[in-house]
Parts: sequence; C-alpha cells; structure tokens
Amino acid sequence: MAEIRVNDLHFHYTPGVEVLRGISLTISPGAVAIIGQNGAGKSTFVRLLNGLLKPTAGEVLVDGVSTRSTTVATMARKVGLVFQNPTDQLFKSRVLDEVMFGPLNLGLSQEEARQRAEAALQRVGLTGAADHNPYDLGLAERKLVTIASVLAMETPVVILDEPTIAQDMTGVRQIGAIVTWLRDQGRTVITITHDMDFVARYFDRVLVFQDGQVLADGPAQAIFAQPDLLRRAGLEPPQITVLGRELGLPDPPLTVEAFVAQVRDMAKNGAQ
Amino acid sequence: MSVIKVENLRYRYPRQTELALDGISFTVEPGEFVGIVGPNKAGKSTLCQALVGLVPHFYKGAIGGRVEVAGLDVHATPVAEVSRKAGIVFQSPFTQMSGAKFSVYEEVAFGLERAGIPREEMLRRIEWALRLLGLWELRDRNPFALSGGQMQRLAIASVLVMQPEVLILDEPTSQLDPAGTSEVFAAVTDLCRQGMTVVMAEHKVDRIAARADKVLVLDRGQVLAWGPPGVVFSREGLEGRGVAVPPVTVAARELGWQEPGGTYPVTVEAAVRIGGAALGRDQG
Amino acid sequence: MQNTLYVPGNSWVHRLDPVSKILLTVVGLVLTFVLPGHLLPALLLAAMLVLLGTAGVLRRVWAVFAGVALIAITFFVVQGLVYAGNATPALTLGPLTFYREGLLLGLRLTFRLYNILASTLILILTTRPSDLVESLVRRGLPSRFGYVIIAVLQIIPIMVEAAGRITDAQRSRGMETEGSLWVRMRAFIPLMGPLVTSSLIATEERALALEVRGFASNRKPTFLNDETIPSYAWPVRIAALAVLLLGIAGRVMLS
Repeated sequence: MAEIRVNDLHFHYTPGVEVLRGISLTISPGAVAIIGQNGAGKSTFVRLLNGLLKPTAGEVLVDGVSTRSTTVATMARKVGLVFQNPTDQLFKSRVLDEVMFGPLNLGLSQEEARQRAEAALQRVGLTGAADHNPYDLGLAERKLVTIASVLAMETPVVILDEPTIAQDMTGVRQIGAIVTWLRDQGRTVITITHDMDFVARYFDRVLVFQDGQVLADGPAQAIFAQPDLLRRAGLEPPQITVLGRELGLPDPPLTVEAFVAQVRDMAKNGAQ
Repeated sequence: MSVIKVENLRYRYPRQTELALDGISFTVEPGEFVGIVGPNKAGKSTLCQALVGLVPHFYKGAIGGRVEVAGLDVHATPVAEVSRKAGIVFQSPFTQMSGAKFSVYEEVAFGLERAGIPREEMLRRIEWALRLLGLWELRDRNPFALSGGQMQRLAIASVLVMQPEVLILDEPTSQLDPAGTSEVFAAVTDLCRQGMTVVMAEHKVDRIAARADKVLVLDRGQVLAWGPPGVVFSREGLEGRGVAVPPVTVAARELGWQEPGGTYPVTVEAAVRIGGAALGRDQG
Repeated sequence: MQNTLYVPGNSWVHRLDPVSKILLTVVGLVLTFVLPGHLLPALLLAAMLVLLGTAGVLRRVWAVFAGVALIAITFFVVQGLVYAGNATPALTLGPLTFYREGLLLGLRLTFRLYNILASTLILILTTRPSDLVESLVRRGLPSRFGYVIIAVLQIIPIMVEAAGRITDAQRSRGMETEGSLWVRMRAFIPLMGPLVTSSLIATEERALALEVRGFASNRKPTFLNDETIPSYAWPVRIAALAVLLLGIAGRVMLS
C-alpha cells in the first residue's frame, strides 16, 4: 500500500552534531523492528518518516511524496505515529472522544469517526472502556488507548515508539496481535523496541541502529544469529536464541515454539 | 531475625471497592534478593509502597494486617522515619530527581541535609554511594543531563546514602534500554552481595530468575506462589494467570528437561546443562 | 542546562555572600526612587555598571539592557509627545512635535528603568539560585519555600520540552498548528490539556520521591556547603548602608 524510501538521510538538531549520518533504505509493507541503544537515533529517525522533522540533507519519500513538501498534519493521513508516553497526548475526558480525535482531524464526519473509533477500541480490547476517563485506566491501558487513536486513522503506515514498556505478558501479546493484524492487512508497521522476545516473535525485518547509522538490516533470523553484531549495538539476542546457540543448534530459533520443534526434530533424527 | 515481616496485609485504595492487596504474608531475611512478579494491577507497586508506608500514609485508604520493616511497625511510623531504614526507587528516573540541585553530587546530599546529618559524615557517605554506583566521575554533571540508566543509578545512590537496611525497587528498569537495565541489575546485585536486603518488582522475569533468591508471584492482590525461582517458575498454570515465565523454562517444560529435584531450569546456564545432557542422551 | 541568568565567575562580587548582595540590590532600588534630578540617577547607574564590570558580567548586562531598549524608547516618544507639562518644543519630525519637558521626563524614567535592572542584576547575575535560596533557608526561610523557588527554575525548561513533545504528538494525529488565529485557538486545549496533566502527574510523582527522602521531616536541616562569608562582606554592607543614608539625607535636605 505505501512505500517509504529514504535516500542518504542526514539530520542534526544543532549544527555540527549529526544524529543521523547517512541512511538509505526502502520500507515496503510488512513488520519492521528498529532496535538499538538509546541515543542511536531511532526516535529521531521515525520522526523524519512522518515529517515532524525535516532532513538536513537527503530526503524521505512516502509514496513518492517528499516529507519536505507537506505539513505534518497532511502526512498524518499516510503515516501514523504512536508516541512513547501516553500522557503527552491524552486530553479528552472520554476514551471514545480521544480515539475519535484523529479521524475528525482527517475530515471524517462524526458518525464515521465514531465507527472507526469503536472498531479501533475493539481491536485493542478496550470496548468496555469507551466511556471511561483515560486517566481512570492503568498506564498500560492508556497506552492501548493511544494505539487505538492511531489505528482509527487507518493509515497505511503505523509507527509504534516503544509500545511494550510497562506492559505485562498479556499486554505484550495484545500489541503483538495488533502488529500481526496490521501486517496481514498489507500495511506497514514499524516499531522501536528494546524487547528482543517481542521482536523475534512478531517481526520479519530488523534494522539495527548504532551511532546514527544502520548497522545491520535483514530478516530477524539473520540478525539474531550474529551475537557480535548485537553486542556492538549494546543488545542481546532473545534468551531462547542464546540457549539454542549454546546447545549447538544449527539454526538458532527465535521463539520457544521453534526451539521445541527443532529439538524434537533432532531427537527424532538422532534416534533413527 | 527477619528484616521484613508481612502478615495478612490487606489494603483498599480510597474510592475503590476492590482490595488492591488481599491477605499477603511473607518474610524476608537479611541479605536476600526478593523479586515480585505478576501481571499489571496485581498489586506489585502497591505492595512496594506498603513496605515503606506510602500506603497508607500518602495514599490514605483502608489498611489491615501488619507490616514490619527493620523492626518498625510501618503503619504506626511516619514515612520520613521508615524511609531511613527502607529506601524506595521508582519507575521513572526523571521524576526522582529532586529538581532542587544542579549537580549529581549535591543531588545525593539532598536527603542527608533534610535529615540533619553532620557535614563530615555527609561527605563520607556521598563519596561512598557515588563510587558504589559508578557515578563518581559524573559528580559535577547536572542530574537532568544524565542518561536513563545513569539517572536511575543516581536515584539509587540518593536513597543509599541514608544507609537503609532494605532497598525496594518498583519496576526500576521499565523505561531503560538493555544497557541501562544491566547497569541497574548489576548495581543491585552488588549491593546484595554486600549485605543489603533487596525487594524488586519487575516484568523482566528472566533477569529476576537469574538473580533473585526468592520470588513472590502476585495476582489480583493475592500471593500465587512464593519461593526460590526454580520452584516458583516451574509451577503449572502461571501463564494462564498472566504471569510471565522465562522462555527457557517454558521450553524445558515442553521437552521434559528437569533438574534432579523435579523443577525446571530458569536460567540459560541451567538449561544448557540439563538440555545438553538430554540431547547427548538422545543422540548417543 | 542554562536556564538561569547566573553567569559563572570568581570575582569579588561572586564571592560575596548572597545576603550582602541582597542588601546592595535593595540599596540600589531605594536610591533609584529617592535620588532626584538627572545627574544623580546617572551617577548611580554609572556606579552600578562599574560594579558589574568588576564582576565580569557586562556582556550579559548589555544583552538585558538591549532587551528593554524598546521600552526606553517608548518613554521618550510618549512623554515627549503628550506629557501634560509639555511647553517648550525641542524637536520636530514632520507633524510630530517633541517637547523638552516630556523628553527630560522620558530620560528620568529611562534612568529609573535601567537602575532597577542594574540593581537586580547585581544579585542575579552573580549568585547561583541554589546558593541564594540556601542562605535564606539558613536564616529561617522554611525549606519547603526554598525548594519551590528552585524547582520552578528547573521546571521551566522541562515544561518547554514537554510542550514540544505534546505538540509533536497532536500534530501527528492530524492537528494543524499553523495558520489562522482560529486554527491556533483550536489547538490550544489539545496542547494545554496534556501539558497540565503531565505536569501534575510529574509533580505528584516527584512529591512521592521527595517524601521518601525525608522532605517532610521536621528535623533541623544541615547543609552540605559551608557558608563562606568573605572578610570584606561587613565593610561592603556598611558602605552600602552609608551610601543609602547619604542618599536619603540628601533628598530630605534638598526638598
């Protein structure tokens, strides 16, 4: 549906201190995870994708349209960005009104906006909370409200900035289900996260950021099979992958299910 | 002589009908590292705050049962006094910076000044705490100019200078990257080795399983399990209740890789040992 | 994070204790209103600029002075044109006539403005806010008030940053912030709402953190830093008081 092209992107906040030092890549529909230490430029990068920041050199094209040539509000039709801290955006006293804010800004009628909002709330599992005050909900649920707010805008590209912080196991699975749903719909979902298990389970492609550059770009399987690369970026593979490697499995698995399947296969083959 | 004794603790926040804590009992021995895990809204934060008296003194509400920390009856003692024996560190590094001091060094002094500690003693404790947490080189930096991990270590140092017997941490690595998380866990493990009693509420069960002496599993205000990590995480039905279990443990359970005592491994090292042996058998 | 006007330095003014500097400022302010005419206020300004010069902070002083230059200009313009006591024309620009009496009044007002600024800058440019508050707390200001004063200074850039993040978040949801006044007004609540809420939440969280660091304790606090009052503090204080008395006496005698 939407293709993002990044051409030799450079960015600095203050002249002389480059935060992004030459990034070129294409993002097609699918689930992409951006990992890397704090300070590597991940948050800055995604803000360049929706036009909040404009490149100091190079360009970002969303479906052929440069982010330099449109306003953020216009780009918001194509690229939705869910911020890390829900407190930075919640302002309505009813969850439903909050989720309707985005669609209304896009020019939809009250009725259409309501329908979209209700569908989005159902997707995040908060249908029962539609009439509540967002601040009566817990921190994790507030996060789901902000995700619903962007889902309701039905953008082809959805960016999630650290969605799993403070979520418990159920919350992480819920967000993972949303990622999978978006991907299956043919949309692009980009996530910044520190949770390697989450990445391994739900994402096809991984971008490793380090010092303002893309250190590695490839399928999750390939990236997590390179512990030295990850260590350079201050990261570690998922626990189950580490276990797989230490046990000498030929193709270290990314999930518990894959691990168990591989071991059972090995046992079967070994017994023959 | 247990340093923490919780007996049938029950608590309800004001304007709520349900109990946030519903009959919690456990004891902690000096020098132990206790992890508190469980789904959101299980009562982890509430329990942490009950250990220093914020519940009920700061939050009001209705409380029952007994909490004894370092010999003090927490319900009957002012928070300022309890916090000299039990320090608490919260989730957000940012809001723990007092905002009143312009350098890391002075920030650590804040609590000492309020407590009326003599100056020579102050200087000694500040240097000790900053060196312990690896912040001595950063002592002239503005607290708000630190990284997340550094700020959290500063929060720990600020609490540590009061020389508490117990350190309580409420999801301290939630907002940190993996490097910052490792810094905090390393600092806490170090303190434990030096005799500090630590209670930490966390979502990162793999790290807790590797470091904690005991784990308390909470769900809906009640204790679901209590004991060493190997025993607790091997229990059936945890994931059904929304409690995360280390991935290696889930795998081990599926594959029947058991420790001699009948529990499952909860760390990579243990899983490598057991699994390696099992695989060797299968292929030998 | 440079969010105060303090200019670091090691001059004799910097090393003077905050209470003495408060005294200097008060003397400057009182004399500003007590000294009559034009010459004496000019001398007062010159004297304070010399003092600020010895502190090495003149660059910042010029910046502040330049910042209010527009106000000074309006004094001249307004009073020169429409002051009630205007009688003697001094300057004609097209249809506008500026009168001598008004211009002189404008001059006196300008001196007053700059003298007020110079007096306060003596204190503000050379004293760290935390030192200032600490010296007041030592002398009996309740430390909670002291805390609030300092915290407000630190909070301002933090709130500015929060406002930036909030604007970004709302723009990303399609809210326009640029354009007509009406557009900007519509953006007000989506921006102010989260700003207020996040500030309140941060305040509550910080109150919690302070509580457990004994903030509410009633013990008499001790201080990390030694208060160093230089040997010249008392001579300076006495000299300042002497100048003040001279000024007041002079005014009384002249009227």
